[in-house]
Formats: sequence, structure tokens, C-alpha cells
Amino acid sequence: MSDLASRLSAALNAAVERLVALLMLLLVVDVWIGVVDRYLLHLQLPWPEVLARYLMIWAALLAISCGIARREHIGLSILLDRIPESLRRISLMAMDIVALALFLYVFWFGIGFALDGAKRQALIFGLSLGPAYAAIPVSAALAAIQLLLVLMRDLGGQRLVDQTEEAI
Amino acid sequence: MLVLLIFVALILLGMPIGFAIGAAGVAGLVDMGGERFLAIGPSKIFNGLDIFPFLAMPFFILAGEIMNHIGITARLVQLANVLVGRFRGGLAHTNMLASVFFAGLTGAATADAAAFGKTLVPAMVSQGYRRDYACAVTAAGSIIGPTIPPSGLMVVYGSLMGVSIGGLFAAGILPGLLICLVCMAVIALGAKRNNLPLAASGAGAGEIWKTFKSSITALLMPFIILGGILGGVVTPTEAASIAVAYTLFLGVFVYRSLSVADFFGMLVRTARITGIIFVIIAFASLLGWWLSFNRIPQEIAGLVIEYAKSPAMILLLIICVLLAIGMIMDITAILIILAPVLVPLTQEIGMQPIHAGIIFILALNISLMTPPVGACLFVLSSVTGEKLERIAAKLWPFLIAEIAVLFVFAFWERLALAVPRALGFI
Amino acid sequence: ETKVLKFGHDNKADPFENPAHACTAVFANIVEADTNGGIKVEVYPSNQLGTAAEHVQMVRDDVIQATLTSTGAIASYYPRIDVLNLPFAFDNNAATYEVFDGPFGAALAGDIETTLGDVVVLGFPDTGGFFEITNSKREIAKVEDFSGIRVRTMTLPSHQKIVQALGAEAYPLAWGEVYSGLQTGVIDGQMNPVPIISFSKFSEVQKYLTLTNHLFSPYTLMISKTFWDGLSDSEKQTLRYAAQSCVAASRGLSRIIEASDQGLAGLKDKMTITALSPEEREKMKQATQPVFEALVKESGDAKQLELLDQFKAEVSKANGSSYLQ
Ligand code: NA
Ligand code: NA
Repeated sequence: MSDLASRLSAALNAAVERLVALLMLLLVVDVWIGVVDRYLLHLQLPWPEVLARYLMIWAALLAISCGIARREHIGLSILLDRIPESLRRISLMAMDIVALALFLYVFWFGIGFALDGAKRQALIFGLSLGPAYAAIPVSAALAAIQLLLVLMRDLGGQRLVDQTEEAI
Repeated sequence: MLVLLIFVALILLGMPIGFAIGAAGVAGLVDMGGERFLAIGPSKIFNGLDIFPFLAMPFFILAGEIMNHIGITARLVQLANVLVGRFRGGLAHTNMLASVFFAGLTGAATADAAAFGKTLVPAMVSQGYRRDYACAVTAAGSIIGPTIPPSGLMVVYGSLMGVSIGGLFAAGILPGLLICLVCMAVIALGAKRNNLPLAASGAGAGEIWKTFKSSITALLMPFIILGGILGGVVTPTEAASIAVAYTLFLGVFVYRSLSVADFFGMLVRTARITGIIFVIIAFASLLGWWLSFNRIPQEIAGLVIEYAKSPAMILLLIICVLLAIGMIMDITAILIILAPVLVPLTQEIGMQPIHAGIIFILALNISLMTPPVGACLFVLSSVTGEKLERIAAKLWPFLIAEIAVLFVFAFWERLALAVPRALGFI
Repeated sequence: ETKVLKFGHDNKADPFENPAHACTAVFANIVEADTNGGIKVEVYPSNQLGTAAEHVQMVRDDVIQATLTSTGAIASYYPRIDVLNLPFAFDNNAATYEVFDGPFGAALAGDIETTLGDVVVLGFPDTGGFFEITNSKREIAKVEDFSGIRVRTMTLPSHQKIVQALGAEAYPLAWGEVYSGLQTGVIDGQMNPVPIISFSKFSEVQKYLTLTNHLFSPYTLMISKTFWDGLSDSEKQTLRYAAQSCVAASRGLSRIIEASDQGLAGLKDKMTITALSPEEREKMKQATQPVFEALVKESGDAKQLELLDQFKAEVSKANGSSYLQ
């Protein structure tokens, strides 16, 4: 079961990472367009600024689940280093479950938030705020699924602060 | 109080800091009772991130990723080494000076800590330095990164407090250089006592020139970033996007060592790192809302006013509050939660907004290396395998020196504002 | 038992520095005094609880009970508010009082209440007077002078269209980047009321101020309907006249700031201040109003057009009326 969870987690994460890379690429290009427009083209495009904010939020929020899959979110091991291995595992599993509950909360109320946003006008493109706000429930659902998978994969056996060299 | 206890318990039990901040915030909402309070959460998460200048963060991270990949970081270390490597404790001095060069590329202390933890710390150990000492030097130098522009924390501060980000960037240059100097002094003064090794030989003028030429593209980067902002071509956000374009150009056309697959990996890594920061920002704005609604930051501010009898005392207390809370909490979270009440206090005592901003940022940057919660210590500990408390034990002379720099800039306004003034930000 | 009215707004906590806090301070004082402490008003200034748009949502959800919201912040909930952006509508400040205290104000308040369904609108306080345009390039006295000037606007399509119709370039920029953007020349100009220009210290980075008076954009004072429905008739009456005084205070403070060292008197030492001639103002009106009305026709609904017509009628009546006659 732990093996299956591990494979599912990796597969899901690979897909999400591809999507995130695409969003980041669009983000970089979008901001370049904004700069080029202001100094060269003078088209006064109204959308690069808004689009950049929403792309940034989508990319960063989706990437939370990638950080979960790789156990990159920074934590503290001061106490855990001093307690027996079995207790440590229980503690870490309990924390995964609390985090799972947290993201389920964000997911559940995020749905209502996005539906309310769908009724509000974004003042640009003539669109609603729904597509932007949907980043909250979607990314929370992904984070929750990843948490469940890595909980089954690691069963509290993960090293803390493992790959933080990549984290800032 | 319950919320604080939950937060501390979750942190100690090994929950990631961002998640623990979120769980504490949600616990607060539950405690208020009523679904309408729980429904606040998603809105705080979204609006806490929906800030255009925050874009500068992923872009500076991405530029740093590219620079690391194409070997520019290594060239900077090499340059620092030919300049100061010849003295007793040469590599320790190199570490400090390289932090200054590196600071022009990156806005984050932990990027510095990770890069040097992987490269310079092993090099120092192999030359006979103690590993805990090498880590302490790296930690002390790492905060130069977010003090000298660009700086992610300045971006957050400037956008939340409505202070010119360019002005904060300008104000960071002098303290960053001074931190480097005092830390080099600490290294030199303690060189005998710590039994630091003597370097083999010094580099000649020819070698210095050769190394300088090979790192010129990297050294140009800060000028592109700062020149763009100060010269009125771009905003800090756009400057960050131009830094990406510049490093991409170097990678593809000059060094020719950047493939599409490499770039894909960097985009993903940048998003993940941004996600790790943003989850803290997002949940901190949720917890911050709960605190504000219950007027807790106001109570802290009220205490500061009650005990402070003079403007100088208020400033002193603010710095103490920041350093104290900086020991147990993530600095971005502190900024989001406490700055809205502490910054108005600095205005009441007549502090210039850029001056107040640079003091906040210096205090919080120093908190990056104060135990138990110090992101740079985490990173170094995990990269090098050295125990956090052993690093901390070697760190205190540097810590004292840097806090001294903080106080100099806090109470000597003319020095603190000299550069922003000269560049016309005030 | 004591009822608590939490009142959030997005401005600084100084009743002598900004109309929003002056308004809330007056409102709180009257409500607390006249209900004999039966309603306690807690003010949360300075965006402590979030953005202006979030304040609207919190009032709708009865998380807080009152807010002052800008037209930009309410627009995503109530797009018809855009009719207020009719450029060069008012001849003077007094006319704005008449329009927003009169039948149009009542109709607008009623439509906001019907559309949102969960708020009660008690008035339209002053945000600091008319929008003026500043820039660093040249004195703007004629419509041709706008040519090639990059003006920062909010991300409101109508504001962008108005600036473009004047011949300038409109670029949206986050508020936090405006000062440094003006200073470094990323943008050349911006538009805001005089108190905001003054307190944001734009005079340090802008040479020219033109008194275009082209937009008037009031706050909307809104109360949670859940809270409102729980009040007695006499308490409701108290809130209504407290709101009226709150509106008066916001107007009074705006005029005082304009007249003080923090207003034009102080700015004129640092900037070249230009008032428009009636002919040039008329030209600008002719250049912008049709563009704006076309935008409303294209994107708005029948109710919005009806409101626009009523707004124009009431504005023209107010422009032509004279005080106490
Ligand atoms: Na830096
Ligand atoms: Na710390």
C-alpha cells in the first residue's frame, strides 16, 4: 500500500509540476509583454498586470502540493530529535493528519469562495473572478490528496528539513 | 492564548511552519464561532497573495537558479577568494565577501546559505576549519543577501506598507556592506582563538584580473537590476523579470550551458520555492486577520507605548519585540502580522518611512539566524548535517556584531538615509 | 445588552488627516452618545482587516457591521456604480452634495440594497474631493498637452478609457509602486484628489498639477442588513442621522484640507498648479463623455443606463442651482 501511494504521489506530482512549469513560463512571458508594451509598443494593454497576478497565484498555490510531495515545507526538529523513533513517527503522522484537515477546510470553504467570486465581475476581460478564485479550492484539494498519499508513503518516517537546501 | 499554544505545540511536534500558522489561524476562527468567520479563510489566503509587487520574488528566485546553474555563483566565490583568501582565516573572509557579491543576485538569505553551505563549508572543512565554525560564518554572511538589494523581504514590506521599494533597496546597500565589514572584523579578531588556518599563498595581480574578467557578467547583474529601477526604466517587479531575461541570455548565448530540460526544472523549482513562501504569507494573513479582529497587535503596540517614555525607548522596544518574536516565528509572517501596528508607532515618533522600513528589515533578517526558528540555520543544518545548536554556539559573536550594526542604523538617521537621500528617494 | 458595531475602512486612523476617519469618528461618537452606550462602535482603520473589497464581503456576511467602500472596491459586487465615473460631470463641490443627498443618491442607495440584498446604504461620504491630474513632463492647460503622457490609473476600464480619450496613455500600476514609479519615470503622471496627492507626497516627484476636477468618486457607507434588522426603530433613526453627520464631516474635512497647508496652499510652493479655462474644460468634456457613454452602453444593462440618465439629469440640475435660492 505504501508502495502504491508512493507511485500515485509521484505520478500526480509529475503532472502538477508540468502544469506549474507551463504557468510559470506564461507568467515570465506575460510580464515581459508588459514591459515591452510600456516602452516600445504603447498599446496600453490592460491585461498583463492582472493576468500576472492570477498566474502567480495559480502557479504558487499549485506548487504547494509539489512541496508536500517532496516534503520541502520547512519545519522544526528540535523536540523530535530528542524523542524515541516510535513517538516521532506518531507525531509526524498526527501532524500530517492535522495538515490534511487544514487543507480540507480550505478546500470546502474555498468552493463557496470561488462560487461567490463567479458572481463578481473582474473589471477586465468582462470575466468573473471565478477562474482566479478557483485556484484556492483546486490547489487545496491537490494539497490534501498529496498529504494523504505521502502520509501513506512515509508513515511518519520522513526526515525533517530534508531537502530545504532548495527552499529559501 | 489558546491559539498561541496550538501554534507552538504544532511547531514542536514537527508540523511545517506555514501549516502550523494556518492551523492556529483556523483554530482562532473556530473559537470565534459561526460559519461566517470560517468562510473568511479563503478570502484572506487569496487576497494575501494578490499583490503585484510580490511577482518580484519568483523572478529573482528564477534568476538566481539560472545563475547557479550556469556557474556564476562559483565564479563569484573564486573572485572573493583571490581578493581576500590570502589572510589567516582566508576562506572565512572569502565566504563573507562572496556573500556581498552574491547579494546582488539574490533576494533571499536561505539561497545564500544553501549555495555556500554546499560549496564553501566543505571547502573550509577540508582546509582545517571546524564545521560548526564554517556554518556559523556562512549563517552570519547569509543575511547580507536580503539586506543588499534585491531583497524579497523589502518587496513584501514596501508593498504592504506603501513604502517605495526602490527607496528601501537604496537604504539596504550601506548596512549590508557594514555587516560584511564587522563580520570580517569578528573573524580576524577571533582568528587566533579559533585557530583558523593560514591560506597557502596569495593571488597575483594577473590572476585577480583574470578572475575579475571571468565574473564580470555576474557583477553586472546588480547594476542592471538597480540601474533599471533607479534610472527610471522599470519597476522592481519588471527589473526582476529583466534579470531573468539577462541570465537566460547569458545561459543560452554566452555560456551555452542551459538546455530546455534545465529550464523546465528551474521553472518548477522556482514555483515550489515560491509556493513554500506563499503558503506562509497566505496563512499568516489569515492568522493576522484573526489577531487584528481581536485587537491583539494593538495590545502589543499599546504595551510598547505604555512602557516607553521617549521616542528612543519606543524604537528600542520595537526592535526588541521584533528580535524576540523573530526567535520563534517566521519573519514574513511577523512582517504581515506585526508591521501594520508597529510601523504607525514609528511614524508617531517621527521616523522617516524608509528609515523605519530598513530597521524592520535588518531586525527581521537578523532573526533568520537566531535559534530556535531561523530559516538560515535550518538550511545550513540540513545541507551540512551540522547540529543546529552547535552552529548557534559559534554564532553569537557575529550576532552581537550584527545587532550592533542594527542599532547604529536605528539611532543614526543621517547614516541610515544617506544613500536613499543621495539617490533622491527622500 | 450592548450591541457592537465593528466599522472597518481602508484609511489612516487620523480624523484630521483623512475624510474617512473623520467620518467614522463622528459616526461613532453620535451613535455611542445618542444610544446611551446601547451600541458600541469599534473602528478598524488602515486596512487592518483586509482590502476595501474584502470589507464589502465582510459587511455582507455580518462579520463586521459597517464599512466605507470606494467605488473601485464595490464595483466587482455592483458594476452599475460605474455611472459615477461620468467624466467632467460636476461644476463644483456643492453640486456633488446636492446630487448624493438628493433623489439620485436615494435611487443609487436603493439599487445597491436591492442588488446586494444584504446591506443597507446610509450615505455617500466625500473621499477628498475631485480627481486632479499630476505629471512630471509639462504643464497641462489644453487637451493637446496630454499627448504622450503616461498616466497611472486603477484597473477600471472606464478610468483607462477616459485617460485615453484625453490623448494620454493609461497604464495600470499597483498603488504600492506609484510613488517610486512616478519618481523614476516608469510613469509620468497619476490622478487623485488633492488630499491624497498631498499626503502621498507626490509633490516631491511631480512638477505639474492640473485642476481637472474630472471625476468625483464618493465612498459608500454600508451597514450589514442582519445587524440593521436587529435594531429598534429609534436606533435605526440614530444611525441614519449619525451617517448624515458623518457625510458632512467628510465633506468639511476635505474642504479644510484643500484650503490648508496640506492642500493647494502648500502644494503651490512645490508644484505648478494650473486651473482649466472654461473652454478647455468643455473641450475635455466633449472628448471624454461620449467615449464613456459608449462604454456604458456596450457593457452595461438597462438599469445602468437608466441610472446614468437620472445621474446626468440630477447633476445638470445641481450644476444650475444656487445655494439658498
Ligand atoms: Na540581495
Ligand atoms: Na529566528
